[in-house]
Amino acid sequence: MFPQHTLFRKFKNRKMNFTKLFAALAVLSIGFVSCKKEETSTKTSQNLSFHIHTMAGAAEINDADVFTTSTGRKITFSDLRYYISNIVLIKEDGTEYPISNKVLLAGIEKEEHALGEVPVGKYKGFKFLLGLDSATNHSDPSTYAAGNPLAMQTPSIHWDWNSGYIFFKAEGQVDTSAAGNLAPNHDYFFHIGMDMLARQIDFSTSAFEVKADGEKFVHMNFDFLTVIQNVDLTTETMTHTMGPGMPLATKIANNYQAAFEVEDH
Amino acid sequence: MKKFYPLFLVGILFSACQKDPLLGDAVIALPIPKGFPNPEIPSDNQPTLYRISLGKRLFNDPILSRDSTISCASCHFESLKFVDSLAFSKGIDNQNTMRNSMTILNVAYQPSLFWDGGVPTLEQQVLAPISNPLEMDFDVNLVVERLKNHPEYPALFEQAYGKGPTVYTLTRAIANFERSLFTSFTRYDDYLHNNNTAALTESEKRGMTLFFNEEGDCFHCHGGYNFTDFSFHNNGLYEFYADSGRARVTGKNQDVGKFKVPSLRNIAHTGPYMHDGSMKTLEEVVEHYASGGKNHPNKSGLIFPKNLSAQDKADLVNFMKALSD
Repeated sequence: MFPQHTLFRKFKNRKMNFTKLFAALAVLSIGFVSCKKEETSTKTSQNLSFHIHTMAGAAEINDADVFTTSTGRKITFSDLRYYISNIVLIKEDGTEYPISNKVLLAGIEKEEHALGEVPVGKYKGFKFLLGLDSATNHSDPSTYAAGNPLAMQTPSIHWDWNSGYIFFKAEGQVDTSAAGNLAPNHDYFFHIGMDMLARQIDFSTSAFEVKADGEKFVHMNFDFLTVIQNVDLTTETMTHTMGPGMPLATKIANNYQAAFEVEDH
Repeated sequence: MKKFYPLFLVGILFSACQKDPLLGDAVIALPIPKGFPNPEIPSDNQPTLYRISLGKRLFNDPILSRDSTISCASCHFESLKFVDSLAFSKGIDNQNTMRNSMTILNVAYQPSLFWDGGVPTLEQQVLAPISNPLEMDFDVNLVVERLKNHPEYPALFEQAYGKGPTVYTLTRAIANFERSLFTSFTRYDDYLHNNNTAALTESEKRGMTLFFNEEGDCFHCHGGYNFTDFSFHNNGLYEFYADSGRARVTGKNQDVGKFKVPSLRNIAHTGPYMHDGSMKTLEEVVEHYASGGKNHPNKSGLIFPKNLSAQDKADLVNFMKALSD
């Protein structure tokens, strides 16, 4: 429906450069501080990032390739993005460490998401929202500066006529033939949003440790084929969530948790 | 419409004498009609002449649409009370849009925009027609790129908002212009505010009485200075709705077929009527309400058959025609 461009790739690169620069500056400043004080001073907080691979089964999605669903149906992706927000880390003592004001726009074009510094130590796990809380969902996207995940994106990931964000957006082409033996020949779009379809993703028992001596990455996979595991691609190829699209949208949203997997680390 | 430009000028001259040599920078008073309250205006988008004139230019500029053919004014003609006289407006590639064009006059008072109330502010509303595939079918970020590369717009944005074109300043500017659009004095207002009993004909006065009493019973929804309470109702137009109305944005079954109660100011000039433009004349509309409409589980309890004579109906129509400025 919208032209697909490479803006995201550019954005991704800039973001990565910025992350590197930030890390370098952080290291530099630590160097300064530690020279003045005792040599053995250790950091009490450290950078944490999510690193999320967007998968179609065993294969990592790249928008130029064709993938095969569990029923052998061919599918392509031109856009696959989703919002992650309200990230909460669960400390070893069970107390929660919310990472406030951090919204990630994840998807096939952006794997790495810096969450900022968090206290060094052991964590029992974490949880987050796939989607946005109601206040954020209905905020005015024109008030966010360009580059902010909540600013107007290209292509758009906001329902301008309903003043809400699309929490999960997947578009591309799929083979809708009954036999399922053709090339992808039919546009599909899954635009899932609205407050009631934000889903809490729970990894409260996926323990990890943030150490003083280096950045921490939490690696995850997000599998699109699991998201559509019970979707009939011969007929269920489009939803805007609202109205008649609600049953399909609900079905998809209910698969989010199963689609995520924390990699060993 | 014609009356408020001179008012602006007066306001500007005053403020100019007081302080700012940059006339267009001064926050001006909006030409609020007599009997109307002060609308709420966002603190980050107070009206200035620079902002209003920039917004007006953008409103009329097809630069907002993918192929540069459609502007806001394509469906909201100033000469037609900011509507287009079509059942469904015409968007890009000559496509029919989803609903009937609503007037922008007095839009400053709307607590939500569109027939379904899906958007809470005028600023946010600007985004919707730009991205709608049936209207402008474009990307607001690309509109901003066009504006940045335009020979004149960057300076105009700078002047109005102290920064160049962004999604933020673009939406502020158009909203600022729209918020400056008001209806003006009607014969009804002359009757009401000036006690000019000669302002209305006998038929219009009878229509007015019916309008505001339980017999005609129009005022429950169409009351107040703007002849709307801004609520959403199912008015029994259909048994089955092709357009689910407010349910489209709430997802609730009880909102199916509910639409915003429109203002009746200038109603004689803003037909065809209803969200889908399905009624061509005010006579048809009055006939519909007199009949009580079709059955629908969500139909408003205020819509039921009324015992109105042919004269009553004609009087109601005549009264509504006196609401034209």
